[in-house]
This record gives sequence, C-alpha cells and structure tokens, in this order.
Amino acid sequence: MLSTKGQVIERLLRGAFICRTTDEDGWRFLQVAGNREQVDAYLGQLNRLVVGLGSEREEAVFFCGYCQLGEDERRVVGQQFRDICQSLTPLADWLILVQEALGQDAPPTEGTPMRLGELQTLIEDTPAFREQLGRISRYRLFNSASETVDAQIKLVFKRLTELGYLVRPNPDKQIYLATGKIDYLYEVIRFIDAAEGLELEKRAEGAVQGELM
Amino acid sequence: MSDELRQSGIRFLKRLGRHAETIMDAYLQGSVPEHLLDASVRERLLKDRVLYRPEPGADLHLRRAVRALLEEALRDTRNRQVDANTASALATFRMLAEHVKEARHQGRHADADVYLADLRDHLYAFGETLQHAIRVLWGRINNEFGYVGTLNAKIRENELAQSQVSALLDGLELVRFEELAELAGESRELRQLLVTNLQRTLSDCTQELSIAQARLLELLGRFREIRGRTRLLKGWLLHMEQYPDYRAEPQTRASELPRLFNHADPLLAPAALNVHDATQEPELLEILARVRTAQPSERPTQTLADAEALTLSTPEAIEIRPSPIREAVTSYLCAIIDSGQPVSALEYHQRESLPWDTESWLYQVIGDYEGLPQSHKDRLRLDLIGEPHPHYSGNFIIRDLNLWLT
Repeated sequence: MLSTKGQVIERLLRGAFICRTTDEDGWRFLQVAGNREQVDAYLGQLNRLVVGLGSEREEAVFFCGYCQLGEDERRVVGQQFRDICQSLTPLADWLILVQEALGQDAPPTEGTPMRLGELQTLIEDTPAFREQLGRISRYRLFNSASETVDAQIKLVFKRLTELGYLVRPNPDKQIYLATGKIDYLYEVIRFIDAAEGLELEKRAEGAVQGELM
Repeated sequence: MSDELRQSGIRFLKRLGRHAETIMDAYLQGSVPEHLLDASVRERLLKDRVLYRPEPGADLHLRRAVRALLEEALRDTRNRQVDANTASALATFRMLAEHVKEARHQGRHADADVYLADLRDHLYAFGETLQHAIRVLWGRINNEFGYVGTLNAKIRENELAQSQVSALLDGLELVRFEELAELAGESRELRQLLVTNLQRTLSDCTQELSIAQARLLELLGRFREIRGRTRLLKGWLLHMEQYPDYRAEPQTRASELPRLFNHADPLLAPAALNVHDATQEPELLEILARVRTAQPSERPTQTLADAEALTLSTPEAIEIRPSPIREAVTSYLCAIIDSGQPVSALEYHQRESLPWDTESWLYQVIGDYEGLPQSHKDRLRLDLIGEPHPHYSGNFIIRDLNLWLT
C-alpha cells in the first residue's frame, strides 16, 4: 500500500485537484507545511510543484503546477487556459440553473450535495428550467442530442463527474457532491474579471435592478 | 401588604397558565382575532395587560413584556431586541447611591439597607441585561441568521446585529469608573457594588462583544462573497450574451504566470501488471476470478452425473458468422434444387466466376453437404468425381463434385 504521501503525489501527477471533498486525507496532509515541502521536493525533480488556492490560513484546493516555465510548458498552460475558458460559459450556466432550481442563495461550491432525482423533478416541472437545461446540454462540452430531461441531466452529471467537477461518493445513490474544482472555476472567472476589467458583479447587479424596475 | 402582593402575583401567574394556549397562539401568529376569544377571557387578559389592542378594531396583540418573557424562556432565535440603554441605568445607580449616602448620613440605617438592596438589584439586572443581549447576539451568529430565507435578508440582519453591538459598546463607554468611585466615596459597600462588581461584569461583556463583532464581520464577508459568486456567474453569462465572440486572452506570455493557471499536464499513466511477481499472485488470481465472472455465461450450467477430472480451460467460442463462401454454397444448393438439373461444383464455380480457389470451394461444398440434416441429405445426392491414387491404395483424389436431386 502507498503512504498518504505517495497517494498525494500520484494524484497530483495525474492532474487531479485535491480538496476536502475528493480526498480528505490528502488534503489534510498538504495543509501541513512540512509534508508539503516533502511533496514539493519530490515533484521538483520533475519540474513540478504543488499549487494551493484559497485563503492564507487554509487552502481549499491543491493541484500540480510547473516550477519553471519553458516554451513547452507555456504552450500546455495556454492550451489549458483556452480549454477552461471554453467550458466557463456552459458551467456558469449550469451552476446558475442548479442554484435557481433548488431555490438556494448561492451557486454550488465545494461540498454542496446535489440529488439528481430532486433536481430532475424540479426541472421537469418548470418550463423555463427545462429550456435552460436543453440549452446547457447542447453546448459542446456536454454535446447531447437528446430531447428528454432525463437523458440530458444524466449526461450533464456524467460529464461533470468525468471532468472532476462532481464526485459521486456512493455509486448506488444518485447523490453528487461538488468538488474544489468548482471553486477553482470561480477563481478563474474572478481573475479574468479583474485582469480584463469586465466588472461582472456590477453588471449583474445592474441587470437585477433593471429587472426590478 | 407583601402577602397581598404575593397572592395577587400567584393568581396572575395561574391565569397565565390557564390561558397558555391563547397566549402561545398570539405569540406564534403575532395576534389573536378577537372573535375567537370568550368575552370574559378577553376582558380578563386585557385587564391583566397580557394582551392589548394596538388600535381600535385591530386584533389583540401580546404585550412586549410577556413576549420578552417567552422569547427568553424559549431561547427563540427570532428575538432581535437588544436593550442598549446604559445611560438611564447609570442615572438610576447614581440616584440610588445618593439615597444610600444620604440615609446613612442621617443615621436612617434601615432605609439605607433597603436602598442598597434596590441598587444591588438594579446592578445585577444591568449585568443580566447585557449578558442577555450578548446571548441573543451569539444565538443569531451561531445559526448564521438561519431564520431568514434569503442571503440579502441575512446581510441586513447581520448589519442590524453589528449596529446593536456598536450601540452596546458605545453604551459601555459611558461608564466612567473614576466618577463612580467618587460617588461611592468612603462607603465600602457602595464601592464594592459600583466599582468592583460592575468592573468585572463590564470587562467580561466588552470582551465577549468584541469577539461577537469580529465574528459578525467575518460572517458578513462570507455572505458578501457568496452573493458575489452568484453575481460573478450571472455577470459572466450576461457578458457572453452581449459579446458572444469574446475570448479571454491566455495570460501565459506574461513573465509572471498567475498561480491560478499554472496547472501541469497529467504525467502519470496507470502501471502495467507484473505476472512474474509471486507476491502479487493472490491479488492477481482474485482479479482474474472477477474477470471471469464478469463475462456472461453463454452455456447453461449442467450438473454432470459422473464428472471427469476437472480441467480448467477456456470454453470454445462458438461463432456463427455469415461467411461469403458458405452463402455461395447455399446459393449453389438452391440453384440445383430450383433447376432440378445436376450441376457439378466446378461448373457452377466457373459459371458464377467465384473468387475462391477450386479446392477450398470443393471442401466447402462437401462440408456443407455433410452438415445438412439427414432428411435433406436423403433428397440430395453428392457424387464424388475423381480417381483412386495410382500408388497408394485407399486414397481417392477428388477432382469434382456432382450434386443432384434424387
């Protein structure tokens, strides 16, 4: 059996995101500065290091990044940036759908449980949600050709699980948990917002006030 | 006098108990419709100042004092009332202290003791009110304002709580211990009450209040962040709606790559298994067993009466796949049946210019003929055309086949 350190290194090298929901032991392991140094020392030989995101006190999600950025690394990172930017819109659309269908204050974040059956009933009962789901499932990220809510929502959840945005702790139950990768997504949008000066929050607030008027 | 007071107090409490259901209805629903109450009960409760009518024609409401009593007893989190009026409490202390001093000065010690007890009561009540306020605040903090539904409402509740904390802290600043010490003067008992006791209460409360304030700020930050997330997503969608061609520029050219985007390529592929490692044998066998059970069993299991020694071998795969040569043989047979004329296999082969070589063709025809059911074989006849081997007896060389209907 591998030690926790071995497991953490293996997961990082596979490109996984480690958060409390996906791998609590590994996440706790990396919270300890000494452990993280050991992992960094190992990964350093492969020009890799541990990147943590979140508050200073407690980092919410870890993944593997490059130590030195040469031409090749920059190309890889650039490609990943384009990939994630392409999936931002479908994912944002989906997060809003989940928030609104469940009538919650906030969109899902790491650890938010989602019951597929409950969500499906709620969406089936509301034409606007049905339409929204139909639009979401036709994005290239999900690429569904189906017309039924049942097939669309199952496909969307399956794809999101494959992409690491959701986990399904018990394969017998249709309960999914959002992972730290979703929080990563918010960070990406926030970063683009700040870097490009899009003022997204102000825009959304303006739109809400417009609706109220 | 005091006995009478006691009796009427007990009567009052008993009446409260008797009308408990009405009072709780009023507490939970905010008011009781007048017509639901008996006229005499209504009069009684109004007279006892348990219920009151806020304006003519309105439903009956519970008085503030009774409501506060219930909120306190039930630890109701909806209780938002915080009494921050330190100034009037201080004025009361000052007045009572003067009373005590005056009485002592004039030698009316019995009166002075009564005033002192009164002052002590007020001081304790003051401390109690503060602690109650803090408890109420913590109650709300601890369930994160769970009693209101939306995030915006939570943010408003939080802001109210913060203003209450500030009001309480401002109130506590009014207490000046030098003044109180001066007021107490030489009297040891007054000094004990006004300085020592009050100081202890205040320092506890101030400390707790500042912790509560920090927690409230933290909560507010979190609520705002949560609200920020929704807005971020909605803003992004609006933005993409307005500029569908918008592409964020990769920031990878910048000399300093943001940590966020420094995500390395996956490097590790699953390892292959090593069948020569004896230590792994049990696991491998287990996996193998699972692989086998995972395959659907095609043959129904039969119990053998007399089983032979068990040998493990992969069951022969039975494959029925339409092969072109077999189809050709079938059409050959059909042609003979249709025409009723004997046609030799080679003749047919030539006529249809079949792609296979003649030997395979002949073998296939023989094979298929042998494969026919007996009843069909009786109707068709296969003649072998050829000659015995010139040197080795018992060997027959087939040159062609003739197939005809009997």
